[in-house]
Amino acid sequence: MTFWRNGVRTPAWWAAAILGVALFSFDIAGYVRGGTTDWKTVFFLVTMAIALVTGLGVWAWRPQTHMGPLIYWWPALTVAGDLMVAYPRSRTAATLGLGLYTMGLIVFAQMSLSYSNGKLVSEYPRKSLVGRAAWFYIFIGGYAAQVIQNLYNLAVVDGRGCPYCFPTQERSWLYIGKAPFSLDWWNRGWGIEILVVLPIGLAVTWLKFARQPPGGRRTFLPIAVGGTIATFFGATVLYFIVVADQAALGSVSSYSWIQTAGQLGAALAVFVGLLIVRRARGPIGNLVVELRRAGPGGVRPALARAIGDPSLELALWLPERGVWADESGVEMSLPEGRDRAVTYIGDDLAALVHDPVFLHQPALLEAVGSAARFALENERLQAELRAQLAELRESRARIVRAGDEERRRLERDLHDGAQQRLLGIGMALQLLQTARDGDREQLLAETEVEVQAALAELRELARGIHPAVLTDHGLGPAVRTLAERSPVPVDVGASDERLPGEVETAVYFIVAEALANVAKHAHASRASVSVARENGIVRVEVSDDGVGGAALDGGTGLRGLADRAGALDGTLEVVSAPGAGTRVLVVIPCAS
Amino acid sequence: MRVVIADDTALLRQGLARLLTEAGVEVCGEAADGEELLGLVERERPEVAVVDIRMPPTHTDEGLVAAAEIRTRYPKVGVLVLSQYVDAEYALRLVDGDSTRCGYLLKDRVTNAGELVGALERISAGEVVVDRELVDGLLDRRRESDPLAELTDREREVLRLMAEGLTDRGIAERLWVTPKTVETHVRHILRKLDIPSGTAHNRRVHAVLAQLRA
Repeated sequence: MTFWRNGVRTPAWWAAAILGVALFSFDIAGYVRGGTTDWKTVFFLVTMAIALVTGLGVWAWRPQTHMGPLIYWWPALTVAGDLMVAYPRSRTAATLGLGLYTMGLIVFAQMSLSYSNGKLVSEYPRKSLVGRAAWFYIFIGGYAAQVIQNLYNLAVVDGRGCPYCFPTQERSWLYIGKAPFSLDWWNRGWGIEILVVLPIGLAVTWLKFARQPPGGRRTFLPIAVGGTIATFFGATVLYFIVVADQAALGSVSSYSWIQTAGQLGAALAVFVGLLIVRRARGPIGNLVVELRRAGPGGVRPALARAIGDPSLELALWLPERGVWADESGVEMSLPEGRDRAVTYIGDDLAALVHDPVFLHQPALLEAVGSAARFALENERLQAELRAQLAELRESRARIVRAGDEERRRLERDLHDGAQQRLLGIGMALQLLQTARDGDREQLLAETEVEVQAALAELRELARGIHPAVLTDHGLGPAVRTLAERSPVPVDVGASDERLPGEVETAVYFIVAEALANVAKHAHASRASVSVARENGIVRVEVSDDGVGGAALDGGTGLRGLADRAGALDGTLEVVSAPGAGTRVLVVIPCAS
Repeated sequence: MRVVIADDTALLRQGLARLLTEAGVEVCGEAADGEELLGLVERERPEVAVVDIRMPPTHTDEGLVAAAEIRTRYPKVGVLVLSQYVDAEYALRLVDGDSTRCGYLLKDRVTNAGELVGALERISAGEVVVDRELVDGLLDRRRESDPLAELTDREREVLRLMAEGLTDRGIAERLWVTPKTVETHVRHILRKLDIPSGTAHNRRVHAVLAQLRA
């Protein structure tokens, strides 16, 4: 029996189990001896037996919550109290019955409101109105009032003189004497007290129901309904106690099976709920199978099914980026606040973002987490890849766009610059053919200026396309040339070592753009550039003492530089707090 | 002949004005963009407007837009578009439609006053002018099934001049043959290229250019 093997049985459990069996045996023996074998009694005993077995089961299988003992004590106390019905002529049974009979109902109420983790309406904060109402209902209106009531009954009830008033026809061992004031009045007071607190209990029960997750509602509904039926029956009985005469109570009591039926429903619900918890290993077994078959992106749905939370979101920690991302690699942030709960899996592996009610099933979440660990590692790898791929795609598109834009700019510069000047020169030459002497000199001078300007423009354009000094002499001299042309004084630290062509080109244009930004935006008095290769990595730093506040996506072309670096598997970082200058740091791998 | 000039580069505009003036053309106004040009045309009603294709604000084909506007509003004013683009697409856009009196020349032609003035005269006479370099480019294209392969060398020459916008008479003068001979050549060419004959002059230019481009 795996059920039996998987349980945890403490000495307290054994004691409770033995006590329960003993109480049942005595009770049944009493009925058998008394010859009372009506079906209502059997119905009652079966219901209590189911509750008892359920309580002991939950106690053994979920020892970390108080749910098991709560379920157990409900039938245990009720059956102990019932002894006074089975043994109407025993003073001991009368003592137990008068002392305990109604206690079982309060335990039942506490159990209902503590479903399913053993904590009173944990769906609500303890200090909230509902939390306080539940506490008042159970501990003040329930236990405290009932203890007083029962102590009073133990002291004054005398079944000997009143065969119909109480199930027992005896006095308790604690009997003191005749009541100082009418038992009838005392009972009315008690009834009014219960009639006041019962609506509180009902309200709390259904408020609790409203907060159940879809899965939780299925099991909690019968408990809530059962509790409500039992409550209404109790209220009816009390009505007769309070306003009608005691004689009518006898006929009402013959309908006590309705209350039992309500309790049976609740007992069965708890029992079924227990089976669902037991079956939690079932979903997890399925989960393991499902995860083995799940393709990329299939982990989240599988986890959502196993936990029973369709709203489940999966967050994967991408250590390289230091961000949380969903399965497709899109960055996300973990929610804060009460609407969503976060359960972490592993150290920096993943997090489940789920409905907070599932916090009451930590064991389930934990089991799901450990079952999914390997798949999650996999999923995270996939998400990382997808994020990289998306980034790559974006950067590739940006590079193509930047290239197009660059070509358009070149076309514009050529057409509107050098070409126009050459046309002007051509026209001047035409005019020269027929010009008079004075005009001739002026035209020649103008043409000379135009030729120089056209040459200068072409030179600039060619440099923009690819500077010759970079090709011929490498990065060091090329960067020094950039520095010389910068309007802001620039210190250059760069060796004359040659690097691979694509690295030289990328670094050159990064430095050129960064220095252009310094000149345009930084309001700096000094800037510095350093280029160094060590351990197969080229490190480039361009810094200034300007106003700072630059951002990668600030529209200053830094994104394009990052793409240039990224195209060579490099990275670009911008450190630019407002007022603290700007540092552009580039790292590009570059094997010797 | 009275012309206006539109070009956003002052240097070129003034050079062109000087050149045309020297060549005996009356330059009665200069404009730096399309809007200014339209005002100028409204005021001066020149015979021809010489328009740079690239003007502010986008520096792409504002000249063509202005040309279309002029031809709608002032059908009697000819338009010579000076362009940097050796691309039949632009020429076709200009030659499209009903009106004649238009020309598409590469800007390089400004260095040859004689050629420029010749084009202006043809336009003011109601002809269409298409730059020869553009036509050469179209003629030299390699084609899969080449309808031009069926043409004789002489017919090719005539086709080239047709594409440049010359009238039969103009072609006859250029080739030193009788108009009758040219007519025969033209008929053959149109048949071989599957172009309906008897269309108006400017439509014929358009059809030929389109056929060459296809």
